[in-house]
Amino acid sequence: MSDKWLNRPDGMDSLAAALPSIDRALDRRINADPENLERGLAQLVLTIVELLRQLMERQALRRIDDGSLDDEQIERLGQTFMKLSERMQELREEFGLDEEDLNLNLGPLGNLL
Amino acid sequence: MIELYAITDHPGPALPDARVLRVVSRGSLAGVYGDAGDEAITPDALWRHEQIVEELMQERTVLPVRYGTRFADERAAGQVLEERREQFAAALERVRGAVELAVRVIGRADQPKVTGPAQSGTEYLRARLREHASESEAVHVVHEPLSELARDHVLRPVVLADERMRAAYLVEATAVQEFSATVQRLQDAHPPLLITCTGPWPAYSFTQS
Repeated sequence: MSDKWLNRPDGMDSLAAALPSIDRALDRRINADPENLERGLAQLVLTIVELLRQLMERQALRRIDDGSLDDEQIERLGQTFMKLSERMQELREEFGLDEEDLNLNLGPLGNLL
Repeated sequence: MIELYAITDHPGPALPDARVLRVVSRGSLAGVYGDAGDEAITPDALWRHEQIVEELMQERTVLPVRYGTRFADERAAGQVLEERREQFAAALERVRGAVELAVRVIGRADQPKVTGPAQSGTEYLRARLREHASESEAVHVVHEPLSELARDHVLRPVVLADERMRAAYLVEATAVQEFSATVQRLQDAHPPLLITCTGPWPAYSFTQS
């Protein structure tokens, strides 16, 4: 792998430690026992919920950008999205899923998120 | 069971390791495969697969096949080559003479950023706005100049905290040095960003149109 770096900036070591390891990714793909089937279903459902959450959040950000929301509306929306985001994180942790897991490869259409 | 490593032109140069690798051919296409055996699926096995594909790539154009693609026997693999002949032939032309380079952009951790949970809804949304802005900025200053040096590219969603951009570029094998020098120049021009570039890889991200 060391010969694959074309540009390796200083400070990469701490980053490398944060990268999800290959072992985990392999574990995820291979074990198709009943426990994992349940997790797979949770993964699918949470992916759809996460897609909707991101779409709504992006819409809210656009509306802040174009100035069509007043301060109180922004605060209320922000609270809602913040709580949704926290709740999603809890659910992900409960099922042992990473942010990266909540994505679908749609083949020619690319990734869902 | 057999394990498929790559799809390539037929006929092609001699295989690098004839003891392990064999070829199934249909028309102008060949699939390079080996015995799948019953070895456990481990990171080492994944790297071995990658090494075989990279060795093949030294002397021929390859469509890399994803690790773990197995068939019952040579006939079953040949059938897939036959059925998807046009798709594979077109994909081979798309990647001919080119390699994949992967680029990631990370915001340096010592850059000012919001730490800990947001205190209010407004603060949360403002932080999200800043994240979006810094991602668009990275795409503007890094991706735009790099994409001009590439035959094709794929921008992927960012996943890690502080990650600003993740992309793969299909670059002429002869232009890898120029691409790498450009990455270095962009890095020098934008010290707050960590720009990583790895490769050359088999064109995994460009096998589908």
